[in-house]
Amino acid sequence: MLLLGNDAIARGILEAGIGVVTTYPGTPASEIGDSISEIAESAGLYMEYSVNEMVAVQVAAGAANCGVRALTAMKHVGLNVAADMVMTLAYVGVRGGYVIVTADDPECYSSQNEQDSRYYALLSNLPCLEPSNPQEAKEMTVSAVEVSEKLELPVFLRTTTRVSHTRGPVEYGSVVKPSLSGNFIRDMKRLIMVPAFSRPKHEVLLKQAARATEISEASLCNSVLQKGGEVGIVSSGSAFNYAVEAANLLGLDAGFLKLGMTHPLPEKKIAAFLRLYSKIVIVEELDPYLETQIKAIAKDQAPNVEICGKMTDASFPKEGELSTRLVAIGLSKISGKRLPIDFRKTGEKYAEVLRALPSRPPILCAGCPHRASYFVIKKVGGDKAVYPDDIGCYALGISPPLNVGDIMICMGASVGMAQGISKVTGKDTIATLGDSTFFHGAIPGLINAVYNDSRIVVAVLDNQTTAMTGHQPHAGTGVTGMGTPAQRVLVEKVAEGCGVKYVRVVNPFKVKEATAVLKEALRHPGPSVVVFRSPCTLLDLREKRRRGIRILPARISDKCTNCMACVKLLGCPALVVVDDRARIDETMCTACGLCASVCPYSAIEGSCLE
Amino acid sequence: MKEFNIVLAGVGGQGILLAAEILGTAAVKEGLNVRVSEIHGMAQRGGAVTSSVRIGESVLAPTVTDGQADVLLGFEPLETARNLKYASEKTLVIMSSERIPPSARGAMNYLSIEEVKQKIHCFTVKLVVVHASELARVAGSSLAQNSVLVGALAAVTGFPVKVENVIDALKELVPTKHVEMNVKAFRLGYEAMEKERADQL
Repeated sequence: MLLLGNDAIARGILEAGIGVVTTYPGTPASEIGDSISEIAESAGLYMEYSVNEMVAVQVAAGAANCGVRALTAMKHVGLNVAADMVMTLAYVGVRGGYVIVTADDPECYSSQNEQDSRYYALLSNLPCLEPSNPQEAKEMTVSAVEVSEKLELPVFLRTTTRVSHTRGPVEYGSVVKPSLSGNFIRDMKRLIMVPAFSRPKHEVLLKQAARATEISEASLCNSVLQKGGEVGIVSSGSAFNYAVEAANLLGLDAGFLKLGMTHPLPEKKIAAFLRLYSKIVIVEELDPYLETQIKAIAKDQAPNVEICGKMTDASFPKEGELSTRLVAIGLSKISGKRLPIDFRKTGEKYAEVLRALPSRPPILCAGCPHRASYFVIKKVGGDKAVYPDDIGCYALGISPPLNVGDIMICMGASVGMAQGISKVTGKDTIATLGDSTFFHGAIPGLINAVYNDSRIVVAVLDNQTTAMTGHQPHAGTGVTGMGTPAQRVLVEKVAEGCGVKYVRVVNPFKVKEATAVLKEALRHPGPSVVVFRSPCTLLDLREKRRRGIRILPARISDKCTNCMACVKLLGCPALVVVDDRARIDETMCTACGLCASVCPYSAIEGSCLE
Repeated sequence: MKEFNIVLAGVGGQGILLAAEILGTAAVKEGLNVRVSEIHGMAQRGGAVTSSVRIGESVLAPTVTDGQADVLLGFEPLETARNLKYASEKTLVIMSSERIPPSARGAMNYLSIEEVKQKIHCFTVKLVVVHASELARVAGSSLAQNSVLVGALAAVTGFPVKVENVIDALKELVPTKHVEMNVKAFRLGYEAMEKERADQL
């Protein structure tokens, strides 16, 4: 079967007999939860989209401490959210096998940073497995459960974009029927982390970590794939693939030690490999995580070997993703082998082509309600207000002509940062964030605004889904990960419950009404919440298609003076300029009516709400 | 065959990921090792999309090395040019002729097809322009453009997967009600490429 790396992990979940799967969606990890959500009921396991990664780990850890096998999937930055729980869960441990999947995103394809999450394994003393392709992703999911049960510790499965989002052939093993029935055994010394019990549990953790090293020494995941050669290459994850191909490209005769269990490292195995060579090259993506540790091993066990990588000799970059080209350039520098391709020459030729090309950044879809919300927000707040932004599709509002979004860091941060900005500048401050992000990370920030009486406006752009990651349900949607109906948690009710005095819900496509409400919110002396509610246009279109509703695109009448206000104000991809005239692309137009409401000459006709 | 590298380039929404999955599935049906790489999330919202399919026994990395594409399958002229770093004189560029301006503003400095062709010719002389949208419309809908291009690719000399396997993969992965149209689109693409080859001879 050809499987996406993430789908291979989902398959591994079935082959490992995992009973509880929790997740918060995030690229590049989302498909793990989504694939399980589709089949959870028929496969007899429990799956949930948790409100955030911290809660996802808590739910799974609860189940795993009752002896049920569990897995939590998240993107790398999600692990920062869950870290408080994970660090001490390492002391408590688990009874049922428990796997924490963290998907890193070198090159920031869909993320705000490119942190190297392997350090969490080092920090927490927990084992970490690192697959390099879909087949390994499946196998290591199963191995991770085995290691977890042997050590009674959670185990990390760390992927990167090029593993999670690579398709490759995968051979299936047999499915193990999941058990969902656990039993809670009271054991205060094991489960209650007060200082008196934490101290001995830290010792236990270190003993288990030493046992983990033995597992790592014996693990087939860590193996010498090729002996001999002029240099020895140590590599892991996707970097291994580039290293092998780059060595082939150069005709470099190299030995390979491939590490699939990257915490704890198999020190003896590594030392034995180091002693075979006078020169060792460490090829890894992002930080010199292996390199620092292998240099430490070498100091005691192979002091004469020269170790190259990204530290002293800087042969490979610490930032961005690797490629066969980058690894080949580094290996060429280290070994003196000539590159068979003149990358610099083609690079220069390509740079020249690139200079002539207009860029094509991702943009808000035609008919996206966020475009209407941002149009209103910018109209009311103008250039003077400050706009703390958040993580999600609405981050695309930073592009012209909307230009909304002044600072964006992590999930839910818009609400907290708005308070600091408002405090010291006295400016109108409008935080913008989505519905799923609101539930994920903004509620404590909102309570803080009420408690400390901060004069901020929180604009929740509620499109009733987690759109950017593939339309997963969340607390506000009324559906669970199992596909069953759920009680809807409404943003406005939460805001009122937190003590916000000014809470309003508007339809962003009703531009006049939304504008009036937002102006009033800005005048309110304390924190206010305005919910801009309209469903994600992609879901709305799908629903309309399903119900056989035809969409009549907007039309430009002869009243058009070609003032281009619609084009300049909205930047909608369905508004195109053909032969210097504004035109509507009928295949793209969703008839949202926003252009009709901004046209100063009422020259656009279509499904307008006003 | 040592390896066969394909880079697919276009705009989010053109069915590039589906085309790549069809090619990968077809390779597995053929009993060949394959890696397909794709980028999800942020990149898909109407932005530039690049995917790659690498077929061959020794293939490990999911991405194509600069200059090493056997075929650059361009779903859109501008995006074809944007991915020329994967091309060299050995590369065959198959390009759809229909342009999608990046935005109403970007449209002003959009290159003409002739200018795009010139850029391509700096890298390789092997260029075939396919009127993929037109052929897709003949098949039933412009949305089947990806099947036209997959068909054109399947007719390339040296492409290591049998046509039947590609069609089987397409039938498996395309929604049932659109299968017939997409198979027709595939055949039109295949024939267009065959004709091109005959003309070159």
